Amino acid sequence: MSVTSERDDRSAENVNRTQEAILAAYAELIEELGTDDVSFRLIARRAGVGERTIFRNYATRVDLLLAAAAWIERRIFPRQDSPSIFDMPLTIRAAMESYDHRPELAHVVAETTMRGISGATPSPRRAMLEEIIDAEIPALGDAERRAIVAALAHLDSAATWVTFRREFGMTRSDIADAAAWAAEAVLDPIRSRVG
Amino acid sequence: MDTPTAILANAAAALRESPFDDISYRTLGDAVGVSERTVYRHFPTRSHLLEGVAGWIESTEFPLPPFVTILQFQEASRARFLAFDSSPAFAFVCARAASISPTGESEATFFTRALVAMLATNHPSVNERDLRRVAAALRYFASAQFWARMRTGFDMSAPEISDVFDRTVVQVLSRLPTLSRTSR
Repeated sequence: MSVTSERDDRSAENVNRTQEAILAAYAELIEELGTDDVSFRLIARRAGVGERTIFRNYATRVDLLLAAAAWIERRIFPRQDSPSIFDMPLTIRAAMESYDHRPELAHVVAETTMRGISGATPSPRRAMLEEIIDAEIPALGDAERRAIVAALAHLDSAATWVTFRREFGMTRSDIADAAAWAAEAVLDPIRSRVG
Repeated sequence: MDTPTAILANAAAALRESPFDDISYRTLGDAVGVSERTVYRHFPTRSHLLEGVAGWIESTEFPLPPFVTILQFQEASRARFLAFDSSPAFAFVCARAASISPTGESEATFFTRALVAMLATNHPSVNERDLRRVAAALRYFASAQFWARMRTGFDMSAPEISDVFDRTVVQVLSRLPTLSRTSR
């Protein structure tokens, strides 16, 4: 349970030190000011780089936002690798709690995954879920496998936290509990089919 | 049509040509015949505009058919997924607006209230906590957000999205009686 995903480490390494400083500064400022009020000048000052350096790395505001969302997801809301698909309710519970601790950043991650092909990847852990489900329940039919992976990937997201909080006014523990409970429901039909 | 509504209608129309982020306040003002400042007065930030446009789209393009039974709720949701498929630019804007930090008082949408009322009527013996868990799961899987993520992350069409949705509804509802009896 304590091993961080290798896949996550690799993609995090694609960000160089300057970019890391820019994205970290931007994330800080989003938490302080919200996404609308953060100017490139302010980000540059906080990151200790010139404004032109930001433009060289991120040509547009949307480029910067998408890079920041991916960075936030990896650095602020990392997941542990699950040895079993049946650990996913626990993983999801922990993820919901971490989103609730950093609400502004959770909203950024949720929103950027809703932009269609020009947005951040909406299911970063899909391949991981497919791998563990294939290893654990190799006989699962294609349609059922896809439906379960899709449903779990959907529950394991910042957008779940946003919806449960916005639409139902749930507290941190209620959100964590409800999302984990829904994941258990998705997993119920395949519990007896391991092996 | 009042000015804010005219602005929203024009912004929605502009979505057929360009992405939301490329729609400028100046263009909107010109289209409606007011100054850029007037547009800012009605929609102080782009988040306000996004929420406004999404609300306009929800009511004009994706009206929710009434539902009082689970089957009607599933039918209504399937119909919406199909409508999302035929107007993807609109559906993505609705999904985005539902995901941002709310600009005003955050309150449950009509859809959520209708869903909670339906469940309370159909499952009167279920306790409040379980009812909310079920409602939250169903609401999230019936949302534009679900459609958006399944479409881009899994390359699914509306019928495939409906299939995952239907399975989830059945599984979530099947946990209800056991839970309310044993309070696990």
